[in-house]
Amino acid sequence: MFARLLFESFRRQQRRKVFAVLAITLGMSISTAMISLATDVGDKINQELRTNSANLLITPLEDSLDVNIGGIDLKPASEGAYIHESDLIKIKGIFWGHNILGYAPFLSASQSFKFQDRTFTADLIGTYFSQPLQHEGENFVTGVRKVSGFWKVEGEWPSDNNADALAGRSLAQKLEIHPGDTLQVGGRSLRITGILSTGEAEDEAIVAPLHLVQQVLNRPDAVRRVIVSALTKPEDAFARQNPAAMSPATYERWSCSPYAVSIADQIGKVLPNVRVEQIRQVEQNQGTVLSRISGLMLLLTIASLLASALAVSAVMAATILERRQEVGLMKSLGAGNMTVVSLFLTEAGILALTGGVLGFAAGAVLAHRVGQSVFGSSITVDPVVLPIVLFAALLVAFVGSTGAVRKAMRFDPAVVLRGDA
Amino acid sequence: MSRRQLLFPLLVKAAWVRKDRALTALLSIVVVATMATVALSVYSDVGAKLNHEFRKFGANVIVTARQSALDADELAYIKAALGSRGEVVPIAYAIAQEPSGSPVVVGGTDLAALKELNSWWSLAPDNNSSSQVLLGVRVAEKLSPKGEDFKVSFGNKTLEIHPGAVFRSGSDDDSRIYLDRQQFSALTGVQPNIAQLRVAGTPEEIEEQVQKLSAALPQVEIKPVLQITAVQAAVLRRTRSIVLAASAVVVLLILLCMVATLTGSVLERRKDFAVMKALGASNGAVNMLFAGEATLISAAGAILGFVAGTVIAWWIGQANFGVGIPARPELLLPVVSGSIIVALIASTAPLKLLRQIQPAGILRGE
Repeated sequence: MFARLLFESFRRQQRRKVFAVLAITLGMSISTAMISLATDVGDKINQELRTNSANLLITPLEDSLDVNIGGIDLKPASEGAYIHESDLIKIKGIFWGHNILGYAPFLSASQSFKFQDRTFTADLIGTYFSQPLQHEGENFVTGVRKVSGFWKVEGEWPSDNNADALAGRSLAQKLEIHPGDTLQVGGRSLRITGILSTGEAEDEAIVAPLHLVQQVLNRPDAVRRVIVSALTKPEDAFARQNPAAMSPATYERWSCSPYAVSIADQIGKVLPNVRVEQIRQVEQNQGTVLSRISGLMLLLTIASLLASALAVSAVMAATILERRQEVGLMKSLGAGNMTVVSLFLTEAGILALTGGVLGFAAGAVLAHRVGQSVFGSSITVDPVVLPIVLFAALLVAFVGSTGAVRKAMRFDPAVVLRGDA
Repeated sequence: MSRRQLLFPLLVKAAWVRKDRALTALLSIVVVATMATVALSVYSDVGAKLNHEFRKFGANVIVTARQSALDADELAYIKAALGSRGEVVPIAYAIAQEPSGSPVVVGGTDLAALKELNSWWSLAPDNNSSSQVLLGVRVAEKLSPKGEDFKVSFGNKTLEIHPGAVFRSGSDDDSRIYLDRQQFSALTGVQPNIAQLRVAGTPEEIEEQVQKLSAALPQVEIKPVLQITAVQAAVLRRTRSIVLAASAVVVLLILLCMVATLTGSVLERRKDFAVMKALGASNGAVNMLFAGEATLISAAGAILGFVAGTVIAWWIGQANFGVGIPARPELLLPVVSGSIIVALIASTAPLKLLRQIQPAGILRGE
């Protein structure tokens, strides 16, 4: 009997049911899309930060200090220690290797260049532009194009295995160097493919592939400085503890959190004789910005969840209030309050589950689209959102229906059936 | 009573008799108007709020003297040009000798201002505010591993350094010693040759300021710190687009939800419609009644929603950024007129459907 009542209600009142399901679907797709966006936006912006600027700096552990004013390196090239380029790949092998988005090594020295019939002195900087490498059978590409998104090149980027180079903007302006020109340095000729602006020392220098610079300087396998871009978690009180003073269990837990300090510590363990420092200007400040953005999205999500809950309950209440004659008829035919309530709540439950599933699917598609258009990569919709959304749909539908059913039952069946209420 | 005079009491009575129906319609419009106001307010203010956060990144423009030093006029001009929108910290650098004879970079500046600008430095001890010397961590490790005093010399002058605070920055500064200006000029006599600037504003405003200053001061080189401004630009762009996209999704879907509510409620009133028609009301009069009711309810709902949305947006700013998002009166008109238009469409479109059925049929319950 109950099942038949239910079935007939759906069969005869298709229009009402469609509107209710539509409302729930819309509300739940808002919830799904917003929850997914809010939980993922921090990671996405973090990735964006990491392609624009590195956050760790590796330098050789050595006695001599850097002598550098206004971006000009005044330290004699013969001085100081080097890092082995061939060791760098070990960075990808640390516990948080997957969080290492890329790195770029640097080697530089002041050189005398010949351009047309003039000679001039400038820094020759060697680095990876977009160097393919292999780690444990896995291919990846790294270099300044991966970690220093703020480097702007007019013209073409050089490739890493040619004698191509970039000329810094200030230097190029001073000497009238243009893309396509050729320079001589240390018996090699370099073809300039583009003009580079970075706002730093590179503006006054010639930037060439690392291997070529190593040959010119006769320092095979040597690099002076490496910048690393690693996805990190903002530092908290636990991160700031001194790892040397930790118990083994605490140290384990500390190492297994992707803090900049613990990633730096792990890199220090795999590379001999290096110092790994966070680039604090970036690393210490981005945490606040990221938490502000995540916080904003969270608050917007809460506001839209409340809004969709209100909108859905309003629809559920309206559809039931319109059916007060039905309630009156059932009651005058002898139905108890329990029967009426359970019938309406079961209907609401079925509508909520249908709308919830449809809404989850639609919301996932929406979140995916938004991720693609804003970040160029898709937003992951956590499957755990589905039960949450279904639960929310049921809750909202029940809350909206219960009030309305109670109200509909308060009327005298006779009055309702006469059409006076 | 003329028909015109009859219209308003009819509208009010229609809403009053079916209070819950009117209330649900009102609620759904309030919700839409609230969300639209919140989304638009947040979107238009998020850039300013984030730019403010980027102040903490410190210097975003570097001024370098092309010849020897920055003169006082140039510094004064820069200070005046920035006004309250930025800070200027002039620094004098010189290369001194440490005890073993190796070079070490020494900087002389207002140490309090330098610390304030580089607020991300980790200082040890961190409450040493009166210190006359700031040592980069690499200098400290090499020259004063246990905090002992050491000497630096410049030309024939020597200065005994009592290490106060040691800082870590993860940049070239780690290899430098910063002295306060008097000590520094007593040792070297060198005038400021670099100034670190913190300019407030969007990346475009910073770039514009750099160009204005460069044009006015040809003797100095003025460059934005691209690493910082590029990060700022990227974060701003992405955040604004994600807020916009999310808001568009929410407002659009909730609007559809409202349309469904209103359309559904008009379709439920087919009997009202049929009675009016049976009593001889023209199509125009019926349209007028339904449209009038929709306008009344949606105007009230939109104004309520605008107020609620403004309050919620203010609170979101307060909770997240510590500064409320200000009310935007210019949003009132678009929010109210948008709500009324959508409500009108949602409540008069279903009448077309009803018109295809004979009033008698509806009254018989077909």
